[in-house]
Amino acid sequence: MSILEVNHIEKHFGATKVLSDISFSLEKGQALSIIGSSGSGKTTLLRCLNFLETPDSGTISVNDHVIFDAADPATQQEKEIRAKRLHFGLVFQNFNLFPQYTALQNVTLARELLAKERGGESKADIEAAGRELLAQMGLADRASHYPHQLSGGQQQRVAIARALALHPDILCFDEPTSALDPELTGEVLRVIRNLAEQKTTMIIVTHEMAFARDVADQVIFMDGGLIVEQGDPREVIDHPKEERTRQFLSRYAEN
Amino acid sequence: MFLTVIGALNEGFLQTLKLFAVTLIGAIPLGLVIAFGSMSRFSPLRYLTRLVVWIIRGTPLMLQLIIIFYIPGRVLSSGSPWPSGEPGRFLASSIAFIINYACYFSEIYRGGIQGVPVGQQEAGEVLGMTKRQIFFKITLLQMIKRIVPPMSNEIITLVKDTSIARIISLQEVIWAGYAFLKGSHGYSGLVWPLFFTGVYYLLFNGVLTLFFNYVERRLDYFR
Repeated sequence: MSILEVNHIEKHFGATKVLSDISFSLEKGQALSIIGSSGSGKTTLLRCLNFLETPDSGTISVNDHVIFDAADPATQQEKEIRAKRLHFGLVFQNFNLFPQYTALQNVTLARELLAKERGGESKADIEAAGRELLAQMGLADRASHYPHQLSGGQQQRVAIARALALHPDILCFDEPTSALDPELTGEVLRVIRNLAEQKTTMIIVTHEMAFARDVADQVIFMDGGLIVEQGDPREVIDHPKEERTRQFLSRYAEN
Repeated sequence: MFLTVIGALNEGFLQTLKLFAVTLIGAIPLGLVIAFGSMSRFSPLRYLTRLVVWIIRGTPLMLQLIIIFYIPGRVLSSGSPWPSGEPGRFLASSIAFIINYACYFSEIYRGGIQGVPVGQQEAGEVLGMTKRQIFFKITLLQMIKRIVPPMSNEIITLVKDTSIARIISLQEVIWAGYAFLKGSHGYSGLVWPLFFTGVYYLLFNGVLTLFFNYVERRLDYFR
């Protein structure tokens, strides 16, 4: 059974079509990498999954349950969208940590607010869970640091812990290392690799080809808002069938 | 003589402080409402709010004060709506000052809110927070940090602007000082009480400056 099913998603910005007929599915415990040049629609696709953009047509299902149908306004009500968002976690390119909160508070804030609404977990439990997540990210000694006191790589790892704190079904990464200095990408990629080994269901938009090939169970190559090629990463990245994929990868190899 | 003058000036300065405090209490929240109006996605509301802000910021506070105090009495058949004497003058001044300062504050707020990166709001949304939670838990403090310097400027200006209420004879500190020149409490032709009112403004603004420096330092722990 697929945990995520995306069918015929389309999205326009004004007259420009940024996503056309996007369909794919993802199994529980798998990692999907999305590659493609800038402007190919990768980020917009992730934003659609996280309800930051509304597709013009198509459906999104999680665990065989339609959570978004462009043709059915009932699936787009503000109140429900909030709950539906929690199926997904999103790690941003620019981290977007909350500057006025410590690393630990960044991780616990949303969960505390949810607990306050729904009852359940105590503040102490949430804090303990937050500390454990930070430890898992190798940041146990940074819990009380503010974002501006952390390096980019550390900030991004806090952001990953923050997304994990809400136990999303699917964790999305939007070019998680693109804003980092080259020497800091390794620590973030290592954390994501660990998550893959623990069978975290993930979608990773990335420019790190070697990483995509090693970590992902499935790769999608996008160009001009279309899925050009998808399949096993060793197939798509090492033996691309489509001319456009080949051109993109060879441009990459040159760089 | 000195004690008589100081007593009268103190009384005037109390009125200055009252107008200052009432203006802040009214204009700080009203400014936020206007700021949201000027950022509304509903365009008629947005245009209307921006028109009002343009008119209020584009005309002198003194003129607004005169209009609010004198015009209703000329237009309404029931006569002036303001209570007679000093309470009426104070009420009219308060309303004029609140509206005027709320418009200035709203623009400062708008800049502060729009200066908070969109990513902050999106991060909150993705974490399942409500719009309200995002505003109060994430945006607000970042906005406050951004607006402290322009707000302190505006608030220090307000201290001095309260003297404009003298145009409708509100008995604030400058009015009290000037009274000794014209003749009051058995003295007339005294110039120094008027000059001496400056000391009140200086001292009070000194206290405010220290306060705002303190607030800025307190918000220095994040960037």
